[in-house]
Amino acid sequence: MIKKVLLRYSTQRATEPILASVIKQTGVLLNILYADFTSRGGEILLSIDAPEQDVGKVIGLLKQRGVEVQELKRVIQLDEEKCFSCGACLSLCPTRALRLADDYSVKLEEDKCIYCEICVPSCPVQALKISKYG
Amino acid sequence: MGKIKVKKSIAGINERIKRGDAVVTTAEEMVELVREKGEVEAAKEVDVVTTGTFAAMCSSGVWLNFGHSDPPIKMQRVWLNDVEAYTGVAAVDAYIGAAQLSETRGFDYGGGHVIEDLVRGKEIALRAIAYGTDCYPRKEIEMTITIHDLNQAVLYNPRNAYQRYAAATNSGEETLYTYMGTLLSNYGNVTFSGAGVLNPLSRDPNYETIGVGTRIFLGGTQGYIAWEGTQHNPTHGLGTIATIGSLKEMSPSYLRGCTIRGYGTSLYVGLGVPIPIINENIARTAGAGEEQLKTELLDYGVPRRDRPVVREVTYAELLSGKIEVKGKEVPVSPLSSFKLAREIADKLKGWIEKGEFFLNPAAELLPRDTAFKPMKQIGVVPLAKDIMTKKVVIATPRDSIASAARIFAEKNFDHLPIVDQNGKLVGIVTSWDIAVAVGTKKRRLSDVLTPKVITAREDEPIDEVARKLERHGISGVPVVDAEGQLKGILTTDDISMLVWRRRR
Ligand code: SF4
Ligand code: SF4
Repeated sequence: MIKKVLLRYSTQRATEPILASVIKQTGVLLNILYADFTSRGGEILLSIDAPEQDVGKVIGLLKQRGVEVQELKRVIQLDEEKCFSCGACLSLCPTRALRLADDYSVKLEEDKCIYCEICVPSCPVQALKISKYG
Repeated sequence: MGKIKVKKSIAGINERIKRGDAVVTTAEEMVELVREKGEVEAAKEVDVVTTGTFAAMCSSGVWLNFGHSDPPIKMQRVWLNDVEAYTGVAAVDAYIGAAQLSETRGFDYGGGHVIEDLVRGKEIALRAIAYGTDCYPRKEIEMTITIHDLNQAVLYNPRNAYQRYAAATNSGEETLYTYMGTLLSNYGNVTFSGAGVLNPLSRDPNYETIGVGTRIFLGGTQGYIAWEGTQHNPTHGLGTIATIGSLKEMSPSYLRGCTIRGYGTSLYVGLGVPIPIINENIARTAGAGEEQLKTELLDYGVPRRDRPVVREVTYAELLSGKIEVKGKEVPVSPLSSFKLAREIADKLKGWIEKGEFFLNPAAELLPRDTAFKPMKQIGVVPLAKDIMTKKVVIATPRDSIASAARIFAEKNFDHLPIVDQNGKLVGIVTSWDIAVAVGTKKRRLSDVLTPKVITAREDEPIDEVARKLERHGISGVPVVDAEGQLKGILTTDDISMLVWRRRR
């Protein structure tokens, strides 16, 4: 199973050693989809591809080390019938999950989406939809 | 430039279109050709350059004729799906504008959506009222109609296809929702409209071929340029056109109703103009690369008619998806679809190649020397600095909580601006903050102040400040200059006093 989690932490904690040690301890590969650092802290979007038990272990270990872990139980959809690739959403997306393809059509890479939802109401034709599951 | 070397007539080009051997390129292809072979060779080779744009054009609408009911009605007011259309003309004529909002659904639905639904052949709820006359006795009517029930449905857009459009960004501290899309705070993004080299009027900026009667691609069918557009301003490279065509022949792929967040509804219009290459001068402008197309990046964080220019940008930079603003790389959003602009230019090219579309010479060229006047001002709009209270009680972060408590007790106000030794605003303390802090270990104002303060700038118009107060549900704001120095304070009371005086 693939699970997406958003990690938040403050600068006092060096995260790289945390991630490295979690990988070492569990043997689970963590895929960083997006990372953003500011002076006050950071955000990392991880995708964890592992059996449910191991995912639980990873999340547990991260929490133990004081990282805030938020599981993302949502899906985003781009209705390609409605979307006319105007691009209004592009510059709003913090992770570049929305991008312009070579033929100038707008594409969505859900992997990178952190469900911030800013794009949804800014689409002039309601082509973007986020729904919850689980 | 010397003598003209290539001379062609529109009649001659039409002859070749008829024979099926006219050479047609899109503007993108023309740019390459001129780069490669120069304008003279390109002018010899190419007969027509096609263009395209697909953008929200608020100044769009449709003239409708409903036919007469029995007994007849002289519509005084009429609504289509609860969106009101203008009926100040003959009995059953009305004009539905793209930006008119639904009276029941607000921003979610408007004239632009009605137009799209008409084109899709959907049923539309029609409601009209009248005062009743001897010749038109009926006083109300309610029914559903589709586009097929109408005698005429004529798209008539008073202003379309700006030659170029300024790009937008926002220096302010709050996200803005504008007709230029969502503008993130602190120069968080840039938006722009226009399809670069495909932009129709940019290909003939001297208006040597474009004019009244020019046949164009409009909403998926053949339409015409009716007149110069409103605000036509060729002197500043901001020409526009008014366009006209039959809605009944149009396609929903090229006419889409839309909602621009926080702004209202509009209509995305697909439009393409063929540029006849009658000489090398037109070849040169029709083949100008996007590095030659410049526009200004304006700061929408300053809510005035004349917004400050942040920098000059080229379309090449804008289309790259990122540009530099104040030393920082900022993501860019186009607001018009480059993909559809290209599709339109290709489609128009196909029509001409297949002999389905002929050029119509302009009955009259568009004016080249008009400029656009701002609205006549009735009185001067007061600015924050004109009515703010300049004598403000202040404190510094090092002052004690007790001293602030004393100030609040003596004076009749709730907000105490905190400034540093240079007079720069660093925060605000409210009487509530003090009430909570008394009796705790907190001693200094620096322990309780709120550093993120909503402020107004000295030169901000009062109307804008009033909107800000309302939006945040607050009763006053500190007023600062460009350097963040505290200059005064402005409260809802100051504003209501002013409104009261204005009314008298
Ligand atoms: S804003 Fe909407 S229509 Fe425009 S590109 Fe994004 S998803 Fe497509
Ligand atoms: S919700 Fe939209 S803007 Fe936010 S990350 Fe996902 S795609 Fe990007």
